[in-house]
Amino acid sequence: MLDLTDLSSGYGETQVLHGLSLKAEPGRVLAILGRNGAGKSTTLKTIMGLLPARGGSVSFGGKKLTGLAPFDIARLGIAYVPETRDIFRSLTVRENLDLAARRFPCPPGGWTVDRVVDLFPRLGERMDNGGDQLSGGEAQMLAIARGLLMNPRLLILDEPTEGLAPIIVKLIHAKLAELKGDGLSMVLVEQNFGFATSLADDVVIVSRGTIVWQGSTEAIRSDVEAQHRWLGV
Amino acid sequence: MTADLGFWVLQMLNALQLSMLLFLLSVGLTVIFGLMHFVNLAHGSLYAFGAYVAASLAGVLGYWGGFFLAPLAVAAMGAALYFTLIRSQRRAGPMAQVLITFGLIFVAVDATRLVWGDLPIGIAVPAVFEGQLSLLGVEYPIYRLFIITLGLAVLGVLTLILSRTQIGAMIRAGVDNDQMAACLGINVERMFFLVFVVGCALAGLAGAVAAPVLSVTPDMGLQILIPTLIVIVIGGLGSLKGAVAGSLIFGFVQTFGAVLLPTLSSVLIYALLAAVLVARPQGLLPAKG
Repeated sequence: MLDLTDLSSGYGETQVLHGLSLKAEPGRVLAILGRNGAGKSTTLKTIMGLLPARGGSVSFGGKKLTGLAPFDIARLGIAYVPETRDIFRSLTVRENLDLAARRFPCPPGGWTVDRVVDLFPRLGERMDNGGDQLSGGEAQMLAIARGLLMNPRLLILDEPTEGLAPIIVKLIHAKLAELKGDGLSMVLVEQNFGFATSLADDVVIVSRGTIVWQGSTEAIRSDVEAQHRWLGV
Repeated sequence: MTADLGFWVLQMLNALQLSMLLFLLSVGLTVIFGLMHFVNLAHGSLYAFGAYVAASLAGVLGYWGGFFLAPLAVAAMGAALYFTLIRSQRRAGPMAQVLITFGLIFVAVDATRLVWGDLPIGIAVPAVFEGQLSLLGVEYPIYRLFIITLGLAVLGVLTLILSRTQIGAMIRAGVDNDQMAACLGINVERMFFLVFVVGCALAGLAGAVAAPVLSVTPDMGLQILIPTLIVIVIGGLGSLKGAVAGSLIFGFVQTFGAVLLPTLSSVLIYALLAAVLVARPQGLLPAKG
């Protein structure tokens, strides 16, 4: 459903992606792995239109995304949970959720504010707190909840476990596994190899802005050499 | 003189009146900056344009004609500026923006000279607000009380919109993080245009209400620019609360400085500005934490 073809992108003078190609299939979870600075976050930002593609293309469900503004891409059904979570600090938790909920129609059986609070009960206790009063774990739950309220066709997550306590990582893992069970398509960027491979169906490894390995989760688990060479596991 | 209650009341009202005028100007400028990091130095020229339009219309339609139509005219001028100069410079960086809008100030000053001439234009206070009101032993012009009330009313309406409505939440989200707001499907550029035009309308409104108390001159936009910039820097760029606080601080320091410490009055506000910049470079009530 998401196709990146020969994509080049970067920041200012620095080119980070050099002809990167990958595919994410509907109803599956794709993990993008790789060392720090390999170009994983850059890939996600280019998909969202936050960084302009300098070459190649991104298409989603057959529609070309390259050149579209981030709000158009969001409306086409991609929800983005950034590495920095980017909770709006001057909005309450409820306002953060409403902002997403009111912009996107909710299909029958889709995500509502009540349903995301059922998924993350902690958020229910924090509804009237400011966005600047949350712990790292709560901010991550809110960022995921906000993405779900867009009722996206594809959820992309950038390092959802970064900086979180092990118990919260476990909780986020359980919730993402639940979403996967519901058939939500996801693209997951992760440093945490165990976390990523226990959720993903497909794996690609990025190094120096290009894909150097791709295959199934089982294949990367058994390919110790590739793990060692590209991930330093 | 300072032991007299009347003195304090009078100066307090003067300070409030100046504060409210500055608030009407600075609120648009600060939210425009907060939302898009766009520096519009020509904001004061829009205020002057509002004053001239109000003064011209007052002769034909009476005061209220100018009061209601000047903000619309300035909003239309703002929209025209947006489509001709501002939109194309949105990503050009602060230097290009400052140079272009600074240049606009001079164009505006000379354009007003060509159309309205060099001489100050006066405009009469509307009949309903003529005369004085006795307040705690002070005779105070009713029209100036109207300016204070209007400023407070605009503040109330803006606070309500920003804190209670969906569009208000969208604007706050955009000020916090415009990229993430865009990723949630918000057309930040269209919102910026809307805020820009409303900010221009408020500058026009400030010009229209100031016209009867100040003389309308070609350089009035330039004269108000520095105080407005001081207000938003003291208050904190991008923040409504900051614009309120900055306006009050400027109004009171300026007014009371002029009567209590006349020798220092011209330095006082700059000293305060410097102190704020040293102690809290992000301003007293910044939009971002």
